[in-house]
Amino acid sequence: MADDQPLLEVENLTTKFSTDNGTLTAVDGVDFSVNTGETVCIVGESGSGKTVATESITKIINTPPGEIEGTVRYKGRDLLSLPESELRQIRGNEIAHIFQNPQEAMNHCYTVGWQITEALQIHQDVSDDEARAKAVDLMDRVGIANASSRFDDYPHEFSGGQKQRVMIAMALVGDPDLLIADEPTTALDVTVQAQILRLLDDLQEEFEMGVLFVTHDLGVVAEIADRIVVMYAGKVMERGDVLDIFDHPGHPYTQQLLECLPEFGGTGGGIPGTLPDPHDPPDGCRFAPRCEYAEEACRTGEQPEEIEVAPGQEVSCVHYGPGGNPSIVRSEGLGPGDDTGTVDGDSEVGPADD
Amino acid sequence: MTDTLLSVRDLKKHYPIRKGLFNRKVGAARAVDGISFDIEEGETLGLVGESGCGKSTAASSVIHLEEPTAGEVIFNGNGRQGATRDPDGTHPNDVTEFDDDEMMEFRRGAQMIFQDPSSSFDPRVSVGNAVGELLKVHGMSDRHRRRAIVEDLLERVGLSANDFDRYPHEFSGGQKQRIALARALVLNPDLIIADEPVSALDVSIQAEILSLINDLQEEFGLSLLFISHDMSVIRQVCDRVAVMYLGEIVEIGPVEEIFTDPQHPYTEALLSSIPTPDPRASVGGIELKGTVPSPTNPPSGCRFHTRCHKVIQPEGLDIDQDDWRGLLNFRDKVGIDEVDVEQVRENIAGSGTEPTDSEVRAEIRREFDISETVDDPELERTLSEALDLLIEGDSERAGSVLSDAITTPCAEREPEQTVHAPGHESACLRHEGQAAAEPNPADD
Repeated sequence: MADDQPLLEVENLTTKFSTDNGTLTAVDGVDFSVNTGETVCIVGESGSGKTVATESITKIINTPPGEIEGTVRYKGRDLLSLPESELRQIRGNEIAHIFQNPQEAMNHCYTVGWQITEALQIHQDVSDDEARAKAVDLMDRVGIANASSRFDDYPHEFSGGQKQRVMIAMALVGDPDLLIADEPTTALDVTVQAQILRLLDDLQEEFEMGVLFVTHDLGVVAEIADRIVVMYAGKVMERGDVLDIFDHPGHPYTQQLLECLPEFGGTGGGIPGTLPDPHDPPDGCRFAPRCEYAEEACRTGEQPEEIEVAPGQEVSCVHYGPGGNPSIVRSEGLGPGDDTGTVDGDSEVGPADD
Repeated sequence: MTDTLLSVRDLKKHYPIRKGLFNRKVGAARAVDGISFDIEEGETLGLVGESGCGKSTAASSVIHLEEPTAGEVIFNGNGRQGATRDPDGTHPNDVTEFDDDEMMEFRRGAQMIFQDPSSSFDPRVSVGNAVGELLKVHGMSDRHRRRAIVEDLLERVGLSANDFDRYPHEFSGGQKQRIALARALVLNPDLIIADEPVSALDVSIQAEILSLINDLQEEFGLSLLFISHDMSVIRQVCDRVAVMYLGEIVEIGPVEEIFTDPQHPYTEALLSSIPTPDPRASVGGIELKGTVPSPTNPPSGCRFHTRCHKVIQPEGLDIDQDDWRGLLNFRDKVGIDEVDVEQVRENIAGSGTEPTDSEVRAEIRREFDISETVDDPELERTLSEALDLLIEGDSERAGSVLSDAITTPCAEREPEQTVHAPGHESACLRHEGQAAAEPNPADD
């Protein structure tokens, strides 16, 4: 593998589902890439196609009704054109998934150890004893105390955070190079979430993995991401380095997502309106119906081309394109600690001096 | 001063654990173990803590969905203000003593919103009827009037009157939570208990629902008990916060003071676990290891001492705090025989050579974050002795050596409430003594 080649390269990925109400385009021509050792976050509201995009990479969505087009290159190989038998060698071995709800991702009827060794023995030719030793070692590495005695426990005997740790152990059995984590902390408490994020951070270093992380929580993004891809209604709205996007969010959607965070001076209100109907997306920019800066030009044609507004930061917005005026949507200095305008008196009050 | 709408005194809810042929009670899960707080009229009190700390049990005991084991819940709403205690010490407004008629009336004055809007609606009842059902139960038999009231309410929570005849599956999660709000408001209550109302929602929808709750609270003059595990949500809606840990309130105070000047170590840890939306801030702060201990057998003394990063060292000892925490963890683990020397050996062996005893010792120290030598000669001797015993395979004696030598005041005494500022109290042994020096402004 050449050094300058990304670990994963997704180009023009389109995923459609045929439903009773016609064709639903969940992901509509999305590009992104992940390098070794890097964490890329896909951010967006529920229903923006984040999960479908990541599940299309290893084709773990059912086809039909799904239909995946485009190219997904993993270490130079096009995954979408590989036969199912070769794809199975890659899933779990080289690309591993962690899902949102650890309760649902495990089988209640088998011990946790059995489930880890099953995954292990599918991918590697190891004896039962070796598999057990390796599984115990993995459980130990993901921070399950007393791993050898917990090996024979059932999932219901673990707490939510521990179950997620087991899921991570299961994902690591094949020593993957790419880990796809789909909202792995959303079902967990804040304190446990902090533990799991720390664990993922450590493991990424240890295993030298690329991580593709899906979340709707920008607070989590700020903690772990190197680069961000903002998705809305199946399209990429903005992409770039985490620092650039948090300092100078270019797209109005990104700005509004950030304003939902209280630390950015957001006083709530959220983003008015809801996502468009995926059966019949609006013309022009997908976000135009909810955008306060939308003009006539935003509502016609296709989603605007992505324009590079700063090195490495690209925005898909009419106002940055030819003939647009970026100053309409430019928001300089939006960021934590700089809550201009929207403060309503309850943000920084010192301790009562008495 | 405004009137107190709800005052909860020493509320307890214990679930019995039964075993054996005669179903005899062998113990109790002390889910809520003596909590007290007040909610003024128009005020929002937040109740925050990890899963399993008893927040939801507290809510359902306050609203009397479950019979509390002990304690008082005094509800001064429904025009019952100004009542005073009877000579025998009971209060006429004590919800736990209400008869059926009074209870029916109480149900009108206090409503609840639940976490998951999808599972709190009957999929076969239209939302209008789901909201209007409460009016019917409470005696409004006029169908047209019911419909008018519900349609008006649906509009006030940001939906349209036409939604009356639609069914729950036609709405998104955020919209369903709006309907749940309408249902809670339809009887014009004085108090709403919201149990994690936004945890199941997206961040952008969360912000919407929170601002709606704020608006409605002002419009209807509501008092709110707002339960959440997320400190950043609490900050957006609450006036005061109570931090709960394992059935007890460890700190209570005005929301800004709790955020800027947290007193209890648990509050500090909770605050530092909020993900900061600043990519430059490193992942760090205080890490809360493990989970909440079982409420059937809570730790002695301060219940937080098994996870506390500021656990007190006994008099005359002054070692690195991380070492001290590590030593306590090590003592506890050896005590329940959970340090597996063989496993440690295997771990080291995995990287090549056969491990020596000193390597095993170093590995165990590393695992518990104890530095190579502890800063106190006597303690260092004890630790080495215990490690030797452990390697020899005598974990029982290692345990007793450790538990004799390593003790903390936190495990021995229960902390009293300390007042830091008006209305800001916490229960931590580190602050005791300081309270006596300060005038107590809450005592009047």
